[in-house]
Amino acid sequence: MINFLADNAGKLDIVNVLIAVAIMLVIALVFGFLIMVVSKKFAVPVDEREEAVFGCLAGANCGGCGKAGCSAFSRSLVEGKANIDDCAVTDAESKKKIAEILGVDYSGGGEFIYVVSCGGGVNAKDKNDYLGENTCIRENMVAFGKKLCPDGCLGDGTCSSVCASNAITVVDGVAEIDRKICIKCGVCAKTCPKLLIQKIPADAVVFVKCSTRCRGKEVMDACSKGCIGCGICAKNCAQKAITMVDNLPVIDYEKCVGCGHCVNKCPRKVIHLVKENN
Amino acid sequence: MLEMIPVIIFTAMLSQNFILVQFLGICPFLGVSKNTDSAFGMGMAVTVVMVITTLITYPIYNYILVPLGFEYMEIIVFIFVIASLVQIIEIILKKTSKSLYEAMGIYLPLITTNCAVLGVAELVLTSNLVHNLLDACVYGLFGGLGFTLAIVLMSGMREKLDSARVPKPLEGFPITMILACFMAMAFGMF
Repeated sequence: MINFLADNAGKLDIVNVLIAVAIMLVIALVFGFLIMVVSKKFAVPVDEREEAVFGCLAGANCGGCGKAGCSAFSRSLVEGKANIDDCAVTDAESKKKIAEILGVDYSGGGEFIYVVSCGGGVNAKDKNDYLGENTCIRENMVAFGKKLCPDGCLGDGTCSSVCASNAITVVDGVAEIDRKICIKCGVCAKTCPKLLIQKIPADAVVFVKCSTRCRGKEVMDACSKGCIGCGICAKNCAQKAITMVDNLPVIDYEKCVGCGHCVNKCPRKVIHLVKENN
Repeated sequence: MLEMIPVIIFTAMLSQNFILVQFLGICPFLGVSKNTDSAFGMGMAVTVVMVITTLITYPIYNYILVPLGFEYMEIIVFIFVIASLVQIIEIILKKTSKSLYEAMGIYLPLITTNCAVLGVAELVLTSNLVHNLLDACVYGLFGGLGFTLAIVLMSGMREKLDSARVPKPLEGFPITMILACFMAMAFGMF
């Protein structure tokens, strides 16, 4: 029979095809059985809570929690090495479920959003050309970037390239976050070398769209959208929610009632309404 | 034919080194060579897979495919065998050495597509040094050890490189490629 097969080998007929299939089938069965035996013998007990937690997570694999992915995060949750609120993507209801699975208290971390606190871009002057690699981190290494303002958005879009949901675009030289598709993982905030992307409460009405700590005259020379640190907003805030720190207004969102008075009073139009910035 | 064994060892490990002369298995060579420990683990895993692969594919080829006249199926059969073996080794490793399993991460499943492993299975069939199963296993074993040698040497140099002053444009990956080039030139001397 072997001789018969050897004579016919290489010719395309149905017998040869069937033999080829049979060979593969036999090998497949042998190895399939082998894998089955080995996996039974060397089975690793998996904590079932781990899988249950993984099922509740949003599964974005964004890396915002600082772990390698959602499965690594669920493992550290079960081991007690991570906090549920490290994950920003999962909604509050699923987080409560995870807390139940883990048997811990969860009061809710509060909803929040991310905003870009710079309005410079094309409105801010350059101090020099930059011809290097187009990432903010590299550009920031060379004399803090090309902008005259040392705290302004460089516009190279490194935040946009790390964003897992493509929510960030650079418009007129400034990063803009599309909050409808932002999953709030916070990776951009950790990446930005100027720390321009701020986390504010989801019910915030106003935010300061500038981060410069320069004095008034320097800002006037550098940027038409910059805060000059005049303090008019702080003086006019009825709730005393605004304090001036390093020539910048800092809004205490606990006290802010959202009257919007500061938006109207600001001579440089630096304080913006959140809803007007998409 | 035992006197051929030293020749096979020399050939498989040095003069036809899988990474540096034949350029097979470059992916783990560049990917897992950041520190010596995981490089050594990777090299050992590849060595084990290579030995077992030759141990299984050589008889399958010579005693099943050749008599039946189905030599043309070698690649698909070999890939199948390698994939299954890697799967088995992964399961065993997960149980016995969790730290090694996590250190290798994605590179362990990648042994499946490591062309050095498929390369050894093919080379023992065509090499005029290999005449029987023992020769094939020795070729696989020392091919794997040659792989380990190259990857461990590379990782040692990359560890030293961390404290070296490298010109800015060459930092990281470019200087690694240059290192690999010099190593390949050194191995080309054999």
